[in-house]
Amino acid sequence: MTTTAPPAPVPDADGQWAVETHGLTKRFKDNVAVDGVELLVPRGCAFGYLGPNGAGKTTLIRVLLGLTGADAGTMSLLGYEVPRHRDRALARMGAIVDEPRFHGHLTGRQNLQMLAAAREPAARARIGPSLERVGMAQRADDKVSKYSMGMRQRLGVAACLLGDPQLLILDEPMNGLDPGGMLEMREMIGSLVAEGRTVVLSSHLLDEVERTCDAVAIVDRGKVIRQGPIADLLAGAAFELQVDCATPERAAALLGGTAWAAGVHPGPDGLRVDLAAGTDREVVAEVNRLLVEGGVSVYRLQEVHASLESWFLEVTTRLGVDR
Amino acid sequence: MTTTAVTVAPDGGPDPRVTDDRAPDHRGSWVPNGAMIATRFMELRRRRGLMAALILVNIGIPVVFLTVRLVAHAVAPHSYGPAGGYDLFTSMVAGVLFVFGFIVAATLGCTAGSVDLTEGMFRHLVVTGRSRLALYLARIPAGLAIIVPLVAVGFAFVCAVCVLAAPTQLEFQGVPVPVGLSQPAFETWAAGHPDEVICNFGFDIGPNSALLPVVNSVPCGGGNGPSIQKGGPGAPATSQVTQAQVEDAARQIARSNYADYARRFLSPSVSLMVKSGLWIELYAAIGFLVGLGLSSLMGQRTVPVILMIVLEIVLTPLLSHSPIAHLLNVQRSLVGIAVTHLEPGGLPSVFGNSQNGGPRVPGVTESTTVAICVIVGWIVVWTALGAWRMVTRDA
Repeated sequence: MTTTAPPAPVPDADGQWAVETHGLTKRFKDNVAVDGVELLVPRGCAFGYLGPNGAGKTTLIRVLLGLTGADAGTMSLLGYEVPRHRDRALARMGAIVDEPRFHGHLTGRQNLQMLAAAREPAARARIGPSLERVGMAQRADDKVSKYSMGMRQRLGVAACLLGDPQLLILDEPMNGLDPGGMLEMREMIGSLVAEGRTVVLSSHLLDEVERTCDAVAIVDRGKVIRQGPIADLLAGAAFELQVDCATPERAAALLGGTAWAAGVHPGPDGLRVDLAAGTDREVVAEVNRLLVEGGVSVYRLQEVHASLESWFLEVTTRLGVDR
Repeated sequence: MTTTAVTVAPDGGPDPRVTDDRAPDHRGSWVPNGAMIATRFMELRRRRGLMAALILVNIGIPVVFLTVRLVAHAVAPHSYGPAGGYDLFTSMVAGVLFVFGFIVAATLGCTAGSVDLTEGMFRHLVVTGRSRLALYLARIPAGLAIIVPLVAVGFAFVCAVCVLAAPTQLEFQGVPVPVGLSQPAFETWAAGHPDEVICNFGFDIGPNSALLPVVNSVPCGGGNGPSIQKGGPGAPATSQVTQAQVEDAARQIARSNYADYARRFLSPSVSLMVKSGLWIELYAAIGFLVGLGLSSLMGQRTVPVILMIVLEIVLTPLLSHSPIAHLLNVQRSLVGIAVTHLEPGGLPSVFGNSQNGGPRVPGVTESTTVAICVIVGWIVVWTALGAWRMVTRDA
């Protein structure tokens, strides 16, 4: 009697990270599109992947999905090491890369039938619910060539849902959507996350990302330069204090010599005080005390924290100066 | 690079709200499933413009041609011969269906091999996790399920017309002759119609032949024998020729023509139709597979279609006309020439040439083994190249 060694066990979909990359690199001749990326996307959240045009966002997504090969580094999706177990990982994923394009001579439903056929048998039963969920049920039997860009985006999301995915990767999902469509997309992403799924989306619409995502990574020139929860990242950003007072010039003179004021900008109705990142909140009370003791009537003090957009611009601008 | 610790991560284990009890579905297997083949068939079949063009070329041309002949024969039967018949069948199969079937199949193959890429569907399919090889192989049965019936319909129409509208009597060299005679029966028939045979059948006799005085004794009113030498200086007196000699001469002439006669039928036999049908289906299948592989390799449709048409209507006829000493193996490696080697007997050679007005014969010869190897090689190599490119291509 002969015995055969059992095949090596395939790791199940567990682990903390939905996406994990280490030193991931992709080159196109001399151009390094993805440069040693260390990316950790936690499970069960909406994760934004931000960067200027040409930063390598789409290339990283293409590498993760196996649409193009990596030159160096390791990666795993849903705990599955890829490319070794890519088919198992992709079975639990859905993705839109670049603009969603389909066979124009087929209807939306027929396109989904083609994609469902390549998935597990149960995917065929999900075509109707997926179309319903993205609001395309009424137009599902129209030819895709007659769809608007926004409708194709929705159809792309419906295609992602065919596999009942644990992880969705959406490349610029808000493109082509009108304000109402963007709101619906945001709500849908929120509902997917509420179901315990992970959504990774790349976008240049920072405002939308801030409203939609829990965490972000900033990529520039192929490198991830920041990543983490939005709240934590913005907490580390500089903020400003708006001061409404009677004599802004005198107030500026009083605050100009302090150590914690990075900049003081008087205006007709008051002044703006730049505070460095990590400044203690007690400083606000100290500003008030200094101004009152200096004879300045203070009407209002307001902290203005950086938005994701201003923080993004701050980060990328600094990088631009460094170059 | 600054990396901030991520704190929104859950506890690390699989989220209980997302169920993942799905069983492995073998989507890494290279074998396509039935649904993939069915949906690919649907995708190709619903290309209305392409389908209309393919039907027009492969079915429309024979239909129009034969319909015109049918109408012309019905209107003026003495001016226009029957629309069907054996000769027309062989001409249509070797001259039209064989070539157009290949071009149509190649066009469909080029479409099947490239549209996912050009229309942006390829990456959607890759992201499903399904084996790229399976995605490629699903196109083969789907495409063949279209091209085989398409070729069959055109062929069936030609068969139907050639059988149903076949002439009622065989005309051999302008003489009505009973069909399907054995050689003795043919000679016996000739002995019964010596004047028609001697005056119309082709034969070649020398000036000193014993037959010469006999044939010269027959009064012909413009017979069409190609080499008949009647009368002339020193011709023997016709009064010495007996009826038995005339009949014997007719038998001899009939004997020399029997090989040509034996190839003439009123309508194609069932056996010939079946063999011819399988033969053009084989060539169409090859055209589809080569087109599929070539377009997958090149990632586009237009240039591969042009290349396939050039191969079929320029390169193959050019290189098959006659052997070229230094290019003989190149000539033999052309799939068109290899397939014509398997052509059913009774059909004129598609790419051959005609000698002395007889049926076309192959200009380049090769053994059946070599022909089969060439055909298998074309199928395997182009399929492998197309599949390899599909597997390695950036999506």
